[in-house]
Amino acid sequence: MAYHTALVFPGMGPVPFAEVGRFMVACPQARELVAVADDTLGYSLVDAYRRAEGDYSEAAQVAFFVNCLASAHWAREHLDIAPEIVAGPSFGEKAALAYTGALDLPDAIRLTAEIARCLEAYFADHHRDIVTLSFVRAPREELDAILAELDEAGEWHEISCHIDDGFWMVSLAEQRVEWMRERLRAIGSLPLYTMRPPMHASAFAPLRAKAEREVVSRYTFADPALPVVADQDGRLLHTGEELRTMLLDSFDHPMSWPSVTTALRESGVRRLCVAGPDSLFGRVPGTVRTFDVVAAQPRLAMTPRRLTRAA
Amino acid sequence: MWDDQFEEILRPFLPFLPPQEPLTADHELKDLGLDSLGTVQLLGLLEEAYQVRFRDSALTMDTFRSAGVLWETVEGMLQRATS
Repeated sequence: MAYHTALVFPGMGPVPFAEVGRFMVACPQARELVAVADDTLGYSLVDAYRRAEGDYSEAAQVAFFVNCLASAHWAREHLDIAPEIVAGPSFGEKAALAYTGALDLPDAIRLTAEIARCLEAYFADHHRDIVTLSFVRAPREELDAILAELDEAGEWHEISCHIDDGFWMVSLAEQRVEWMRERLRAIGSLPLYTMRPPMHASAFAPLRAKAEREVVSRYTFADPALPVVADQDGRLLHTGEELRTMLLDSFDHPMSWPSVTTALRESGVRRLCVAGPDSLFGRVPGTVRTFDVVAAQPRLAMTPRRLTRAA
Repeated sequence: MWDDQFEEILRPFLPFLPPQEPLTADHELKDLGLDSLGTVQLLGLLEEAYQVRFRDSALTMDTFRSAGVLWETVEGMLQRATS
C-alpha cells in the first residue's frame, strides 16, 4: 500500500518553558490535553513544568509529549494534515502510541511519567559516568577507526543514534569525552553536545527489564489505527504487540533515523509533518532532501494567522 | 571587520536579529537564534564560500559564540591559506 503523508513525532531535546508555556495555556488543542494530563497525574502539568529543574524532568517529558500530540491535532485542523503513516524516533514513540490509539491518552500520559521516573531511579544508581555525545561530519569509516581505538583501550562505547549522513550519537564514559572530541575534530567532525541520561545502548538491558517489569507490563497495547515505522530499523508495525516491543527495544537498541526515512520513502511518502518542538529530525539534510517537510511547531500555532474568506 | 559576504551568510541563521539592526562583533549568536543544526549548516556554507576547511581547534561550539570570534577564525584560515 502506498502512503502520501507521514506524521513524525520528534525525539526530545531541551525545551525551555518560555518557548512553549503560552502554547500550553492558549492553544485549544494543547489546553484540552493539558487538562487530561492534570487529571491523570494529579498535579498541574504547567506549574510543575515551570518549576522543574533540568531538561529531562518528569514534567518536562510529559509536557514534551503533550505538546507534540497537541501540535499534531493543531496541524490536522489548521494545515489539513491527514497522515496515513506515523513515526516517532526515540522519545517520539510515546506520542506515536497515543496518536494511533495503541494506548488511550490517560494511559499514554501515565506511561510517559512512569518511564521518566523509572529512568531517573535507574540512572541514579547505574552508569553514572556514561553520557551520549552527538557530532556531525564523521564519515562511518573514520568514525569506526576512532571507535577501534576505544576498543583497543578497553573503553566501553556504543553507537546510540544515527541521525543523518555523518551525524551520530555515541554513548561512552564521560572521562573519555574530551579525548573523543579531539579525535573527532582531527577528522573534520564537529562535536555538538553531551546528553544525560544516555539512551539506546545494549548496556542498558537491565533498564529495559526494569521498565518492562515495573511499567510497560501494566499496560495493554491495542493495534494502531495507522501503521507505525519502528525507529530502530524502519519496519512497518501494525499490531499492539509490535509497538510494545518497539518501546522496549528503544532502551537497549540504537535508533536509526535514516532507516525510518528510507522506509517512509519506499512506502511512497512525499510529505512529512513533524509535530512538536523539533530542532533536528525535520531539519537534517536527509529529511529535507527527501520530503516536503511541514514543521507543525508550537511557535507556528501561536503565530497570528490571516483569516481567509470563503469564495 | 568582516566582509559583506560573511554577514550575508550569517544573518539568515539569526532569526531574532531584526533586518535593520546592526550585527555587532560580540553579540552572542545563540541569543540571536543560532542553534546546533544552524551552526552545522553555517559551517558548511562558510567553508564553501571561503574555500576553507574548519579542523581541530576551530571545530568547537565556541568558534560560533559571536560574529567576531567566527570571523576571526575564518580570517585566520584565509591568511594561512595565502601565506
